[in-house]
Amino acid sequence: MTRAAGLALALAAGAVLPLVGQEPDVAAQLGRRTPPEVVRAVQAMASSASAKGLPAGPLIQKAIEGAAKGVPAERVIGAVRALADQLEAAAGALRSGGIDHPDADVVEGGAYALGAGLNVDQVRELVRTSHAPYDPAVALRVAATLAALGVSPKTTLDVVEDAINTGRSPSDLLDLPSELQARIAHGATPAQAARGLGRAAAHAPAGRPPGWAPPGQQKPHKP
Amino acid sequence: MGLAELATDREVVQAVLAGDVEQYAVLVRRYRDRFARYAARMLGSVDAAEDAVQDALVRAFDQLAQCREPDKFAGWLFLILRNRCFAERRRRAREGRPLNAQDDAVAAPDRTDGRVEQRERSGALEQALQKLTAEQREVFVLKHMDGMAYEEIAAMTGATVASLKMRMHRAYDRLRELLKGHL
Amino acid sequence: MTETYHPLVKRLLDGELSLNDLPTELRAEGAEALRLLGVVDRAPVSLPARLDARVMAEVRRRAYSPLRRAWRRLVDPRDVELRLRVRPWVVVGGALAAAAALALLVARPAAPPAGGRAVLMASRDSVYVRFILYAPDARQVSVAGTFNRWDRDAAPLVRQGATGIWTTTVALPVGQHQYAFVVDGARWVADPAAPGIDDGFGRRNSVVAVTAQGARTL
Repeated sequence: MTRAAGLALALAAGAVLPLVGQEPDVAAQLGRRTPPEVVRAVQAMASSASAKGLPAGPLIQKAIEGAAKGVPAERVIGAVRALADQLEAAAGALRSGGIDHPDADVVEGGAYALGAGLNVDQVRELVRTSHAPYDPAVALRVAATLAALGVSPKTTLDVVEDAINTGRSPSDLLDLPSELQARIAHGATPAQAARGLGRAAAHAPAGRPPGWAPPGQQKPHKP
Repeated sequence: MGLAELATDREVVQAVLAGDVEQYAVLVRRYRDRFARYAARMLGSVDAAEDAVQDALVRAFDQLAQCREPDKFAGWLFLILRNRCFAERRRRAREGRPLNAQDDAVAAPDRTDGRVEQRERSGALEQALQKLTAEQREVFVLKHMDGMAYEEIAAMTGATVASLKMRMHRAYDRLRELLKGHL
Repeated sequence: MTETYHPLVKRLLDGELSLNDLPTELRAEGAEALRLLGVVDRAPVSLPARLDARVMAEVRRRAYSPLRRAWRRLVDPRDVELRLRVRPWVVVGGALAAAAALALLVARPAAPPAGGRAVLMASRDSVYVRFILYAPDARQVSVAGTFNRWDRDAAPLVRQGATGIWTTTVALPVGQHQYAFVVDGARWVADPAAPGIDDGFGRRNSVVAVTAQGARTL
């Protein structure tokens, strides 16, 4: 990038900045040991994100993480760029899902869901289903965690939507990953464990998910 | 409880994981002596073996949910015990302590046939075994004291049969050298 | 220097051959070798009876520790062990062979909030989170994550005696955090008991979510 162009960008960013609030001091946050090319790239991406109303914090965090892990500069820049794309895609899905001005928390939740394997349509659908009193940020995080635990994105969506549609309390949503993990500890695969998870009644016997049978007596499941 | 003794390892593990901590005593009873000889030979004394087995059983409880195949609890417990024995030996080596305890040695138990010579040789072998590497000692103990086949040892320790044989054959030569004149 | 045993004699010792299978000139050596095996003490070893009681006493102590009692006040008691000990971890060779970790959350008591996100954002409360890693062969362990700028020196774990277990307790702000353990200063290890996500660098990070209304392993 030529000096003139760089200056122009800086000026443009400077013009936009007061509108979006505080620009994080990227160089200071990244620390002295971050290679200069990474600092420059992250600064540019952070400015761009802020200009679009997206949170820049996660980008800076990712760069700090890369530096701490000793990852080569090129790879760090690539990962930050991928995250920036995810944030943008998430914001788009949220807007088309009905949230006109998604805040940082729900955008990050959306990006997390995308990172865990859900696609933009699934994110959008989840947002649409999470009407009050359900918090879309929580629904997205729970879905992302279920996906991270090995449940397919489609089933993940079913589970969370089931929970919402059958009227489980919002705090019950937060329990879904633990319930899944409990079933997996009993020997179920993630797919098996996810079956009926959303619909499970709040008063199911502790430690025994519905349909639990002692080993040797379980009917074989079709995945 | 009589009935509990008939439960499989898998059933006991699942009962413990579901919250019935007292069931763990079944596994303790079942396996407390299974690897006692191995631990005693690896560490050179019954006292050390007791500590190691006790420690391994407690650790196995701590990590019970990580036991991927509850049917193979015994093998999994063995690996925990094995790690503990190897770590103990490394620790003693670092601290400069002798690897074989002179008192309470496992060698030469009371033999009613009164064969002093046998006892002496047995003691000499015991001391010689202590001078092998941990891996050589282990394969010798498992094969010639616990009577396991190479394939079984391979399955339990993760080593290949070929490498086990190599270690064993080196052990034979080393023992021959150490026991020259005793046999 | 003593000669080494002939390979056939070694096979004799392994039980693959009998003495008669050996060529005549090796039989004396074979007999000598068998005498070595003959003195092996195969007597079984019996451990003292007190071992059972000692193990169970320690097991009970761990199962009913104050930390776990506090946890049980907050969540369904039966599920405690299951929720916290989840990811089976295959024991294979290597320094981190038996690494297993738990994220144990202890929350400060708080009144249930009326709203959702508003409470999360407004609250500046921290929640104490205990990180545990089983790594008997490690020389040092720390936990690094979004809550401490991935600084591998910021949150060292302390080894608990000879158990091979390393622990530390960190106050985490409400919200979602990514983290990993750093073993011996260089090896980044995800928590096998927690959900993992791609870190973008070819490894996995673990995730823990801390909420104002209570602790959840999310």
